[in-house]
Amino acid sequence: MTERITEVAVGATRTEGGTRTRSYRVGGASALPGMGDAGARPLIALEICDDPALWPVVVLEEVGDLAGDLSGWAKAAEERWGADLVRLVLTSTRRRGFDDPASSGKAVGEVLAATGLPLIVEGSIDPALDTGVFRRCGEAGEGERLLLGTAEAERYRSVAAAALAYGHAVLAQTPIDINLAKQLNILLRETGVPHDRIVIDPYTGALGYGFEYSYSVMERVRTAALAGDADLAMPVISAAQDSLTVREVREAPEGERVETAVQWEFYAAFSAAVAGAGIVCVRHPGTVGMLREAIADLWGGEGWR
Amino acid sequence: MKALEVYKLLPKTNCKECGFPTCLAFAMKLAAGGAGPERCPYLDEETKALLGGATRPPVRAATVGVGARSFTVGEEIVMFRHEKTFYHRPGIMVCADDTSPLEEVRRNAEEVRDLVVHRVGQDLTLDGIALRCESGDPDRFAAASMVVGECGDLPRLLITADPGAHAAALKVCGQFLPLIHAATAENHEEMAGLAKRYGCPLVVRAETPEELADLAARCTAAGVRAILLDPAPRTVGDFVARASHLREHAVKRASPDLGYPLYLDTTTLGTDAALAAGILRYAGVIAVPPLPRPSLLAALTLRQNIYTDPQKPIQVTPGIYPVNNPGRDAPVLLSVNFSLTYFTLLGYLEAGKIPCYLFVVDTAGLSVLTAVAGGKLDEDLVKKSIESTGLAGTVDHRTLIIPGYAAPLSGRIEDATGWNVRVGPRDAAEIAEFLEKGE
Ligand code: B12
Ligand code: SF4
Repeated sequence: MTERITEVAVGATRTEGGTRTRSYRVGGASALPGMGDAGARPLIALEICDDPALWPVVVLEEVGDLAGDLSGWAKAAEERWGADLVRLVLTSTRRRGFDDPASSGKAVGEVLAATGLPLIVEGSIDPALDTGVFRRCGEAGEGERLLLGTAEAERYRSVAAAALAYGHAVLAQTPIDINLAKQLNILLRETGVPHDRIVIDPYTGALGYGFEYSYSVMERVRTAALAGDADLAMPVISAAQDSLTVREVREAPEGERVETAVQWEFYAAFSAAVAGAGIVCVRHPGTVGMLREAIADLWGGEGWR
Repeated sequence: MKALEVYKLLPKTNCKECGFPTCLAFAMKLAAGGAGPERCPYLDEETKALLGGATRPPVRAATVGVGARSFTVGEEIVMFRHEKTFYHRPGIMVCADDTSPLEEVRRNAEEVRDLVVHRVGQDLTLDGIALRCESGDPDRFAAASMVVGECGDLPRLLITADPGAHAAALKVCGQFLPLIHAATAENHEEMAGLAKRYGCPLVVRAETPEELADLAARCTAAGVRAILLDPAPRTVGDFVARASHLREHAVKRASPDLGYPLYLDTTTLGTDAALAAGILRYAGVIAVPPLPRPSLLAALTLRQNIYTDPQKPIQVTPGIYPVNNPGRDAPVLLSVNFSLTYFTLLGYLEAGKIPCYLFVVDTAGLSVLTAVAGGKLDEDLVKKSIESTGLAGTVDHRTLIIPGYAAPLSGRIEDATGWNVRVGPRDAAEIAEFLEKGE
């Protein structure tokens, strides 16, 4: 394993043309964790949303009033829970009859104003809405080097266009398949998105619900890149989004529900970090601190090489 | 080594003394790691050593305990599970101190013994008790290990650097083949002697690969049959780095004295992170403090995930499954043979108390949506399955309820099978309501 993972810039500080208080370069590893130079430690993104009706109950119970207060939620992600990144999921666009793309741009602006952290934006999932939503999001974050998502094989042009127009990076998602991941990266490049502006999302299934496939696909994507496949040499993001709605969490006894939720997210996110992911995303605030400590520990190793 | 290369080194007389009909048959068995070269009486020492080194599994096996709960680790052959599979899931052993009241030790051991998590048709369990000698008193250590033994044949791990304490404990439980921790540069002669006398597996502990290899070599030379390596990590990162290094050397057969399963004690490392790391990266035995149920659930599930064969999802046998004593007019629900799908569905159906038949077709273990997307679930499969299971003889009606995610197939299934098709909900949670309304 000799090649390096491409570095992707996320977030822009004042000197870089944005307003973030920090920015990151994700990637840079030349080996998997524990097998050589694994680059900078993985970043932890806390997910928040603009329409809590579609959010896991166990998180809503934890965040309380913040659920309706995007600024407060984003601020708390940084100041109270210590996330590295905020990931804004525009759940409002998932509602039937959604027709207000301007509100998506506003939500992005609101979060950017509330926190100095770099931002990942998860836009619409309906091709009919994509163009409007992505343009507004891109525009609202111009200069801030958002990580804008999600591009898929069937619908990547709107995201790509918005990213190119406003200087953002793109999340490229494919369902748990190394070849599909590679193809999408090639498609994006042909559209004009350079490789150092793509982050691979190999679609992470929840622990116990497809995670075995996801884990191996992450390892395969990483080992292929490190063996020289340039079309897979982008950083990987892992977001096991269904983690908090799995049966084990829903049916946990009242007094254990929060802890079960946190552990369920933790085990999947930490495993993704071991598999070489550069960004891991979680939804429960309680998972962030635990993950941060564990990742610091994972990066604090002395090998024998 | 390939079978043909092995064959070249054999006498080629086909004398059958090895128990195989021909030298070639024996060569194939050897190459697959299924037999040892000593079975052929006509090999010189040099050839035997050569064949032994080249044909044994890169990570040797070690078995802890006796009886139904004993477990074997090692015999792994790859770095990444996608290259083949991981064979022997790590044993998770829960720590108890010999300074705790014996009643408490007993209670802990019983809890460990009885813990079962049912997931997708498998019973996930813990593997044993790790008894730590904190008292410094050999008699106390022996008494505590007795108590653990009274809780059934749960494998034991005995932890102390004092050979005297081990000697006392082994006197009362040595015949149950506990794992002994640990032989070090200071005590390895006595430890190896004890491990040999009782036939127990032995952990060797050192900070560098050279020292580990040296200790392993000395202990095997002293007659210890099964070895584990403890690379003495100070952080989770240490463990992952050292374990990866050791596995790589083993898999490449670079140093035979490092080809042993690994030992990890999570107690001082931050338990959940270390436990997850050990499951993912090559631990064979993991000692953990008593874990709260949420941690346990997540850890056992991760272990189940990582140790399933990546080429073969956990499956159920295709066929007709009666649920809640159905009659001949009960509804028939079509589904797939992915275990997760089957057991999720079954859970809701049993809770809903609705009599029905689950009609499971063979999608090679793919979920509904995946099978539909990948073209594995189609009208031909449904037609063939109806015929081969004799579904028409099981019920008096001719209606199939198909999963919501298979809705695009409904017309084609009707045409191909002649059965009526009703499209059910996508989410299994809504099936009970759907069925009740449908009557
Ligand atoms: C893990 C996974 C895989 C694994 C396979 C796992 C397996 N054993 O099936 C792998 C990596 C192999 C895989 C491959 C593919 N996958 Co896939 N995969 C998933 C993932 C993450 C989880 C699937 C799962 O386990 N679901 C859980 C089970 C329990 O669900 P289920 O079987 O559908 O059962 C539920 C319901 O259907 C219902 N139900 C079941 N039976 C019945 C019966 C009746 C009567 C009723 C009423 C209801 C009902 O109850 C259950 C519980 O609610 C999903 C995304 C997701 N979250 O769903 C994508 C997903 C299904 N995959 C997808 C795709 C596209 C593919 C591929 C075609 C792509 C590729 N990689 O080449 C291949 C196809 C496979 C092949 N080669 O033939 C897409 C499907 C898109 C679509 N809408 O058609 C999905 C949705 C991902 C995505 N968002 O793009 N996949
Ligand atoms: S004992 Fe040796 S010589 Fe005889 S058949 Fe077996 S391998 Fe060949």
